[in-house]
Amino acid sequence: MERVTGTVVAVDVGGTFTDVCVLDQGSGVLDVAKVPSTPDPIDGVLRGVAQAGVELSEVALFCHGTTVATNALITRRLPPAAMVTTKGFRDVIEIRRGTRDDLWDAYKDNAAPYIRRRDRLEVGERVDQTGRVVEPLDEEAARDVARILARRGVQAVAVCFVNAYANPAHEERMAEILREALPDAAISTSSGVLPELFEHERFSTTVANAVLSPLVSGYVNELEDRLQDDGYDGDLLILHSGGGVMTPEAVDKLSVRLAASGIAAGAVACRYTAELCGYPNAIGLDMGGTSTDISLVHDGELRTTNEWFVEYGYPICFPSIEVLTIGAGGGSLATIDSAGSLRNGPQSAGSLPGPACYGAGGEEPTNTDANLVLGRLGSELVGGGMTLDADKAREAIRSRIAEPLGLGVEQAAKAIIEVANANMADAVRLISLQRGYDPREFALVVFGGAGALHGAALARELSVPTVVVPPRPGAWSALGCLMVDIRHDLSEMFLTPADAADPDALEEAFGRLETEGRRLLRDEGVGDERIALERSIAMRYLGQWRSMDVPVESGGDLAAAVERFHAEHEREFSYRRDDAPVELYRLQLTAIGRTEEVRLPRNDAAAGASLPAPAAVRPVWFDGEEEPQETPVYDRAALPAGVQFVGPAVIDQLDTTTFVPPGVLVEIDEWLNIRMHITEGS
Amino acid sequence: MASQTQTPAGGTLDPVTFEVLKNSFVTLVDEMAEQILRTCHSFVIYARDFSCALCDAEGNTIMQGSQDIAVHVGTLHLKAKAVLEDFAGDIHEGDVFAVNDPYRGGTHFSDVSIVRPIFVDGELIAMAQANGHWADMGGGTPGSFDVSATDHFGEGVRIPPVRIVDRGVVRHDVIGLVAHNTRAPGDIVGDCHAQVEATRIAEQEVFRLIDKYGTATVTTAFAEVQDYVERLTRARIAELPDGVWETEDHVDADPARGEGLVAIRVKMTIDGDEIRYDLSGSDPAIASFLNSGAGVAFSGAIASAKTFLPEIPLNSGFYRAIKVDVGPEGTVVNAGWPNAVTGCVSGAYEKIMNAGFELWSQLLPERAMACCFNLEYLLIGGRDGRIDERPYFMWYDWMAGGWGGRNGKDGQNATSPVFGVGLAVQPLEGQERLTPVLTTVHEIIPDSGGPGLHRGGCGVRKGGELTAVESSVMSYCCDRSRSVAWGIAGGLPSLPHGVWLNRGTARERFLGANFSGVAVGPGDRFERPSAGGGGYGDPLERDPAEVLEDVIDGYVTVARAARDYGVVVEEVDAEICDFRVDEQATAALRERQRAERPGWLDEDPEQVAARYRNGELDVLDLVRHHGVILDWGTGELLPRTTEQYRALLRRRSAAHWADAA
Repeated sequence: MERVTGTVVAVDVGGTFTDVCVLDQGSGVLDVAKVPSTPDPIDGVLRGVAQAGVELSEVALFCHGTTVATNALITRRLPPAAMVTTKGFRDVIEIRRGTRDDLWDAYKDNAAPYIRRRDRLEVGERVDQTGRVVEPLDEEAARDVARILARRGVQAVAVCFVNAYANPAHEERMAEILREALPDAAISTSSGVLPELFEHERFSTTVANAVLSPLVSGYVNELEDRLQDDGYDGDLLILHSGGGVMTPEAVDKLSVRLAASGIAAGAVACRYTAELCGYPNAIGLDMGGTSTDISLVHDGELRTTNEWFVEYGYPICFPSIEVLTIGAGGGSLATIDSAGSLRNGPQSAGSLPGPACYGAGGEEPTNTDANLVLGRLGSELVGGGMTLDADKAREAIRSRIAEPLGLGVEQAAKAIIEVANANMADAVRLISLQRGYDPREFALVVFGGAGALHGAALARELSVPTVVVPPRPGAWSALGCLMVDIRHDLSEMFLTPADAADPDALEEAFGRLETEGRRLLRDEGVGDERIALERSIAMRYLGQWRSMDVPVESGGDLAAAVERFHAEHEREFSYRRDDAPVELYRLQLTAIGRTEEVRLPRNDAAAGASLPAPAAVRPVWFDGEEEPQETPVYDRAALPAGVQFVGPAVIDQLDTTTFVPPGVLVEIDEWLNIRMHITEGS
Repeated sequence: MASQTQTPAGGTLDPVTFEVLKNSFVTLVDEMAEQILRTCHSFVIYARDFSCALCDAEGNTIMQGSQDIAVHVGTLHLKAKAVLEDFAGDIHEGDVFAVNDPYRGGTHFSDVSIVRPIFVDGELIAMAQANGHWADMGGGTPGSFDVSATDHFGEGVRIPPVRIVDRGVVRHDVIGLVAHNTRAPGDIVGDCHAQVEATRIAEQEVFRLIDKYGTATVTTAFAEVQDYVERLTRARIAELPDGVWETEDHVDADPARGEGLVAIRVKMTIDGDEIRYDLSGSDPAIASFLNSGAGVAFSGAIASAKTFLPEIPLNSGFYRAIKVDVGPEGTVVNAGWPNAVTGCVSGAYEKIMNAGFELWSQLLPERAMACCFNLEYLLIGGRDGRIDERPYFMWYDWMAGGWGGRNGKDGQNATSPVFGVGLAVQPLEGQERLTPVLTTVHEIIPDSGGPGLHRGGCGVRKGGELTAVESSVMSYCCDRSRSVAWGIAGGLPSLPHGVWLNRGTARERFLGANFSGVAVGPGDRFERPSAGGGGYGDPLERDPAEVLEDVIDGYVTVARAARDYGVVVEEVDAEICDFRVDEQATAALRERQRAERPGWLDEDPEQVAARYRNGELDVLDLVRHHGVILDWGTGELLPRTTEQYRALLRRRSAAHWADAA
């Protein structure tokens, strides 16, 4: 595999901060920068790059993860858009599946569809489930609709016809007519975006693509231009929800694939770290101020889901890395409810007023306050960027939690952390145990500002043997953007019982998908030697409604794939039905264009690497102990590769604090990760 | 030590262990649900018509799933208790039981619970339960909804508690006995499997918790989680004023007694920190399957309270603070064996829920909500002529509809029924692959939301054409063709439910809101609406600007903006959504309507019916403004129903208008 020799840059734009990771492949120096995100996110990107001291003309590769698409969907700052659909079906995207996110609260409403009813127009046409035309496209009505939309000045149109997955002809003709009348509008057809069964899911994905299209491709193209203006002449690659990157050209057609771009970055970074450390299985815990993103790597692969949404009821059915977000972060509030139970989150103190210890007016205790009271977090953060007010933290915990519960302040602080950890542990169980994965076979990769404070305790709660804290936890997710290949996910319906499947038809269908996959990659300038095509088949027991993806080899034996399905079903659901017929549901192809490999510098352990003297010593409270223990505080930058020691300890660095409970064995590995080995009773 | 600290309200577990275990129980039940969703065969279960629970050794519910169907609330503990009663002294490790008996606390025959007792050291400590709606349970019609059944024998297979796994050995004979009395034995076995395995997941999770915390702590938490919910509930109720609230809602008719609404009377008493529901004043059981058993009546009352106290978790602790007297057997809400009850979820249950909404709306005006559309499902079953073997097919369809107008905002458009907001409507593209039924329309119905200061949410229209069907029949389970979804606080009703066959042709038939076994053939077209929600507040007070927006979006037509809201909207250029309100004409029209409308409810019903038949008035005029109910197919006046309906319209709507005399 080729290696990049110059500087590579990854920029992850989040809601609050823009993180920049710069890796000089020659010298092996990894630099990070963090700047506030800006109203025009590109300003923040360029400012971050400047702050990192990067000369764009010397950059070999620029990768980017962005929440631009997610934020546009959440804030509804969308261009004027319309939908054209089969007569009688304009409300499919408003009726949805009927369900409401909150089952019981009749005052909590679902969000409105992305396109208002007035902008959903109909034309006469119909094909049946086999693709046969039942009613021809009413061309006159189609032209009329196009004329009306031109008058309304829409910038994007979603064309969504019933059963178009089985025959795209009417949609394609409609798109043609629209292009004539609206030459500048972005037109998305449901058969072009997602040729799959089930009208609401397909329409909803297509509508999201349409409304994002002008915005997102505009953003990406502008970013590309401005980077070039500043001297960059390499490829701009954008991270998509599925954990691959795509080129600006691909974004033009499938903007919706960026819907979870920003969320995917952290998960990819977790996978990368796990791979580097030699763990095939890992759980990623990206804990920030208000929420925690949890991801799962099994056998070196991130779990993906086809059921993803920004707002409930409007699915975006492209493979998206499965990330479970829960309302638990450093700023999560601890409260006592009216029946006397101690609760933690999901409400958060946010960045304003923030935790009580920020001294910005917050009076309610948070996890950060509890960690501070327990001495796990220092009041002087390294670099002196911020001083925390321990008295304010104590007071908040005393008045709001300790007194009502009849506990001492430190006991109350411990209880707050314990509940926070238990909530996170439950979330990890949902994404692991519930899927049939045993956490004991996983490593826990913790990052984000607050992850390393909770990692060891969480690992113990979950019986996870190892915790990994990467070198730059605060900006680690940005690195995820660099660590992926170009990736296109294509699919075709193929509903048939496995024992009746015609191998030639199957091969032919996969052939079609492969031709398309190759074409996409070649158009993006990927040479044949870097193209990899991966097939999979979604299967189920005949009569079941959900299917499971089973990888298959090119020209491989279908019987072997069916056997793999039985085995996977047993692993995931703890039973198999060998007597039940298996049905093929859908063929899937992932077309991968390998990007150049990026490598972090390796720091071989210096002979006799020794533990430096602690920067400070302070009292810290541990679980199950009545008194605080004097505990060494180390500066992370001073800990060389190869060093080993046993906790208790606190390790400080600019962007996070790592809490090492007593008995935990700490090791600094060759990639400068902190690895904590949790043993029973440690 | 923290572990010796008592929570202020009296539990014995330390607050951390308590919170951790409580959340673990939630996770455990949701894990069961996720597994069922991923492995089920019944499309009804796949559409999320199922529920899961962890029950204690007495059968009380410790935790229910967070996404469960409302109507199952308050029935799961009864089914668990039925197993304990029938098998007392004969329950063993490795046993699994099935039960669907509506006369023992179950909902209807289609809802089959799988119950797995969980043993630790030889002692029964808990029961895991997975309850799912199986697609067919036998009986006279496909899908097991036979409106003509007057007793349980015509309805389907009744499963009293039976053992389906005996000390780890699957009783294929017992499962087979049930499965072979249905139309889809293969799927029934598949679903049984999925549910049995899901309860095993729960059992493993309980074992994990016990390994970690010890049996005593976990079983203490079983009790304390219920105590906790009871405390929360009582604390909340104590904040409410004491008093007695009463109302009634109605099933359309009792086929044995001719026309006339059937009353379901709900009385609610708040006394200190306790609520008592009393349903004993309800009318006698009727000669159709819209009756309910005691379990569903209990559930309806509990679910209406939960809708207004959404923040309180559900378990048996809730039932200790909110008590329900379903009255003696033999009424429409507590029919008793062998009265037919399969349609209870469209019949008595819906009425208890909505009557509860009306009472609670007075109690908590800030959460007030008018009546919601009625749960409805249409079944077409027969042979699929598209395939050589002519296999059996079943097109079994339910719709979303409108929810009631609320205090401060309009009702929700096109939302799943109060029966269970998690119940998902099916994709027509999936239906067209599986059945010879082509869907011709699935859209929101303009003007379906009950008019009000805050409009009811809009209902939906779905219709189709039968293609290559053979030997097929159609059945429908709904209600509120006459007891139309009502408004509150001056708001107006929505529209009547009911199925039309070949509407607008010479072969047009109105089949009503409840029928079964109607023969249908290729080329037949059908269509039915789901109602919108009732309106909240006087529609003549609605801001004309909001009416204008509704007109632009087509939720309200120009004609009915004038008729229902007194707002005159002119179309300037519809192509670019340019409409305007004529302020002057609106003021004049509203003034005239204020003066005239009290009289509309006193007009001679026969004359109103005649004006309907000659096309001068339409169905919305009748149900909203004149309070006249007809047989919508023949146009024949229903005098007794009309009299009852007018009284209700006066009470819920006219009495609240500011200009009311």
